Amino acid sequence: MSTIQDFTGYQPTWCPGCGDWGIGMAIKKALVDLGYSPSDVAIVFGIGCSGNMNDFVNAYALHSLHGRALPNAIGIKLANHKLPVIAVVGDGDCYGEGGNHLIHAARGNHDITVIVHDNRVYGLTTGQSAPTSPKGFKSKSTPLGLIEAPINPLALALTQGASFIAQTFAGDLNHMISMIKLALNHKGFSLVNILQPCVTFNKVNTYQYYLKRVYKLDDNYDKTDFKLALEKTLELNEEKFPLGVIYQIEKKSYHEQLPQLSDDLTLISKKRFEKINDLIKNFQ
Amino acid sequence: MKFTWKIGGEAGFGIMTTGLLFSKIASRLGYEIFDYIEYPSLVRGGHNAYEVCVSDEKVTALEKNIDILVCLNKETFEKHKKRLHKNSLIIYDNQEFDFEDDYVKINVPFKNILKELNGEQIMKNTISLGASLAILGGEIKVLNDLIYEQFIKKGKEIIEFNQKFAKQGYDFVKNNYSKHIKIFLVEKQEKQEKLVLTGNDSFSLGAVAADCRFYASYPMTPSSSVLTNLASWQDKTGMIVRHAEDEISVINTALGASFAGLRVAVGTSGGGFALMVESLSFAGVAEIPIVVFLASRPGPATGMPTWTEQGDLLFATFAGHGEFPKIVFAPGDQEEMLELTLKAFNLADIYQTPVIVISDMYLSEGHRTIGKDWFEKVVGEYKINRGKIIDNSKVNPPNGGQKSKLENFLRYKITEDGISEKILPGTPGYFYQENSYEHLEDGHTTEEAEPRKNQVDKRNRKWQTYLDQDFQMPIFYGEEAEMVFVSWGSIKGIILEAQKQLAQKGIKTGFYHFNHIYPIDNEKVKKLFEKDKRYILVENNSWGQFGKLLTMETGIEIKEKILRYDGRPIEVEQIIRLIIKNF
Repeated sequence: MSTIQDFTGYQPTWCPGCGDWGIGMAIKKALVDLGYSPSDVAIVFGIGCSGNMNDFVNAYALHSLHGRALPNAIGIKLANHKLPVIAVVGDGDCYGEGGNHLIHAARGNHDITVIVHDNRVYGLTTGQSAPTSPKGFKSKSTPLGLIEAPINPLALALTQGASFIAQTFAGDLNHMISMIKLALNHKGFSLVNILQPCVTFNKVNTYQYYLKRVYKLDDNYDKTDFKLALEKTLELNEEKFPLGVIYQIEKKSYHEQLPQLSDDLTLISKKRFEKINDLIKNFQ
Repeated sequence: MKFTWKIGGEAGFGIMTTGLLFSKIASRLGYEIFDYIEYPSLVRGGHNAYEVCVSDEKVTALEKNIDILVCLNKETFEKHKKRLHKNSLIIYDNQEFDFEDDYVKINVPFKNILKELNGEQIMKNTISLGASLAILGGEIKVLNDLIYEQFIKKGKEIIEFNQKFAKQGYDFVKNNYSKHIKIFLVEKQEKQEKLVLTGNDSFSLGAVAADCRFYASYPMTPSSSVLTNLASWQDKTGMIVRHAEDEISVINTALGASFAGLRVAVGTSGGGFALMVESLSFAGVAEIPIVVFLASRPGPATGMPTWTEQGDLLFATFAGHGEFPKIVFAPGDQEEMLELTLKAFNLADIYQTPVIVISDMYLSEGHRTIGKDWFEKVVGEYKINRGKIIDNSKVNPPNGGQKSKLENFLRYKITEDGISEKILPGTPGYFYQENSYEHLEDGHTTEEAEPRKNQVDKRNRKWQTYLDQDFQMPIFYGEEAEMVFVSWGSIKGIILEAQKQLAQKGIKTGFYHFNHIYPIDNEKVKKLFEKDKRYILVENNSWGQFGKLLTMETGIEIKEKILRYDGRPIEVEQIIRLIIKNF
C-alpha cells in the first residue's frame, strides 16, 4: 500500500488559507484510498495556481500549457487506456482558454477525470476576472465591473454529454475526497468542479460566502435524471450551490468504442502492423 | 515517347477520379506518369482540370504542350487552348460547343450516348476515358479492370453498367477516327509493377511503415488526404486517427499520446500549423517527440487554399516561442517523401523533439509512379530506432520493486549528447514529470539560473548531435558547370527536367537540392559555394526564403533568383528562358 507521503512532492507555494492546499490533499488521499501508487497514474496539470500542484504531487505527470490539459489527457488515455488519467486545471484554464476542449472531451465521453479549481478569479496573474466571476465583479482587468454573465460549467458539461458531474467545496476535505474517488471510479468523462475561495484576490466568493450558500444533495436525489440535474446546475443563477454527484450515467467511453483497442491490449502494447502490402494495392 | 493528356470540366463532376484513373491506366500498361490537378476551393461550379504526363522514362515535371485535351465543357477549351499545338487532339462533343479547325477534332457524342444508355452527367468521364484509350491505341481491358475494382462493392450490375459507357466511347473513336489513332498506350511487354502515389500518399504509407500509432488532424487542404488515408486504414493498421475539434487539440492530443510512449504525427497546412505553434514550443522544452506534416499552400491567412507555394519555410523553421531544437525536412518528390518520413519518425524519437516534414500542394496532391520493388525494399530495410526511449520490459525496478520505495526518474538528466533517457509512464517503481516550465533534471519546475542554463545548453547540444549523426548535405545533380541551381523541396523534379533540356542544347548545369533544411552544417555548406560561379536560386515564393536562410546561416547570398508566387508551380520553360534569352 502506498501512503500520502509517497505522493507528496515539494513544499507547496500556495498562499496560506488557499483552497488549493485542501484540494491537493484530497487528490492524494483519494489516490491512496483507491490503492494507487505514483507509478500507476498519469496526471496532467494546466497552468495557474492549480497547475502548480505539479511539483507537490508525485505521479507520471505532464505539466501542460494553459488551457491544453484536456487534449493531452485524452491522448494519454488513448495511448494507454489502462492508466487512470486525471487533469488538474483551473477555471480560467478549463472554462476560458481551453473551453472548446471541455465541450469536445465531454461530447466524446473520454475516460478522463477533470478536477477544476474554480476560484472565480485569476490568481497566478494577480487578480483578473475569470470566466466564472460573477457579473459586476471588479478586478484588475475589469475595474468598472465585469459585463459578461458567468459561464455555467456544470450545465455546459452536462448538455455536451459528460457522463459524470460532481460539485464539491474546498472547505470540506472529506467531501472532496469522496467526490474525487467516485469520479476516478467512473468509466467515462468525469468533471469535478471544486468551489474554491481565493483568499488573496477574490473578496466576494469567500469561505463565508460559500458556507452560506452550499448544501449537500440528499440521499434520495436521483443522479441519473438528466432534467433534474439540469435544474440543479441552473441554481448557479440563484447563487445556490448543490454539492455531490449531480449527474452520473453509464455510457460507453470513447476508447471502449474503438475496435483498435481491447481490454487487455493498449495501443502501446500492441504488436506492430507489418502488412503494408495490403495497403499499397490501392495505389496500383 | 512522351505526351500530355488533360481533362477539364465543371467542379463536382468527377474530374479528379477520372484523371487518377487515367494515371493508373498508363501505369498499369507499364508507363511512367506525373500528374497535376487544378481546382478552385469549391465543391461545385468552378473549373476542374487534371493533366497527366506519360512517358517511357521517369517524368519529373509537367510539359509545356497539351497533346490530348478532353473538354467536358467549353471553358476547358478556352482556358487551355494556349497550350495546344496544331496536332493536338481535342476530344469534345460538338453538340455542346464547337471551335475553329486549328486542331484535330475528335468529336464524340457524349450527350447522345448518355441519352441512349440513360446515364447521368458523371458518366461522361467514363465515355471520355474509353475514347482517350482508343485514340492512344490501348486495349479496353485495363479500363474495364479498373471499373471492376472501383465498383466491386456495388455489385455486378453497376460494374457492367459503367463498362458500357467506356465501351461506347472506345468503339466510337475506333470506328470513326481510326486514322488519328496514335500507338502510345500499348501495353509494354516488359514492365515493372508501379505505385501511383501523391506526396501525401507517400507520407501516409511512410507513417504506417514507421510504426506511427496515433495521427491527429483537422481537415485542411492540401494535407487532408493524409487524414482520410490513415483513417480509412485504421481497421487494418490499428492506428488511432483522431479528427479533433481544432489544431490546438490536434497537436496536444498527439503530445499526450507521445508522452505516454507512442509514435505520433499530426498533419495540417499553414493556418492550422500557426495554431499549433505554442504547443510546438511545449514539445521542445518538455522534449516530447512529434512528427509534424506541413503541406503548404499560398498564404497569408486563408490565401489560395487549392494552389501551391513554398511560402512557409521560414515560418516552419523558426516556429515556436523561445529557443529549442527542431529538425526540418523538405522532400523533393514521392521517393524522398517516403525516405524522409521514415527518417523523421526515428529522429523525433532519437532527439526527443519536433521534426517537421514540409510539403506543398504541388507535391502533396500530384501523383507520380514509383517502383513497387523499390518501395518494398525501402520499407523492408527500415529499422525502427527509438533512441533513448526505453520499453517498460527493459526497465529494472528500483529497490527490488518495493512499491514503498519509489524513485523520481531523472527525465531531463544532463548528458553530453543533449538527450536523456525516457521510461514510459506506468513503469512500476518510478515516476517523473515532463514539464512546460523550465525544470530540473528530475522534471520539477525551476527558476534558478544555473539549472536553467544547464537545461538550455543540454537541449541546444541536440543540434550538434544531429549534425554529427544524421544531417545530410544537399544532393548534387548534373555536372561540374559554371551555372549552378540552388533549390529545395518539391521543385527538384522541375529543375531536373530543365537540366535535361538544357543539356540537349549543349548547356551544362549543376544543381544543389536541399531536403535536410534545418539545421544545416554551416561550414560544410559554405564550402560548396567557394567557387566563383553563377548560382541561381529557384523557389516557389516571392521572398526567396531558403536564400535568406542560407544567408543567415552561412553569409552566402545568391543574387540571381527565379521565383514564382502566383499559386502555380515553377515551369521548366521559366528556368530555360532565363538561361537562353531567346528561348
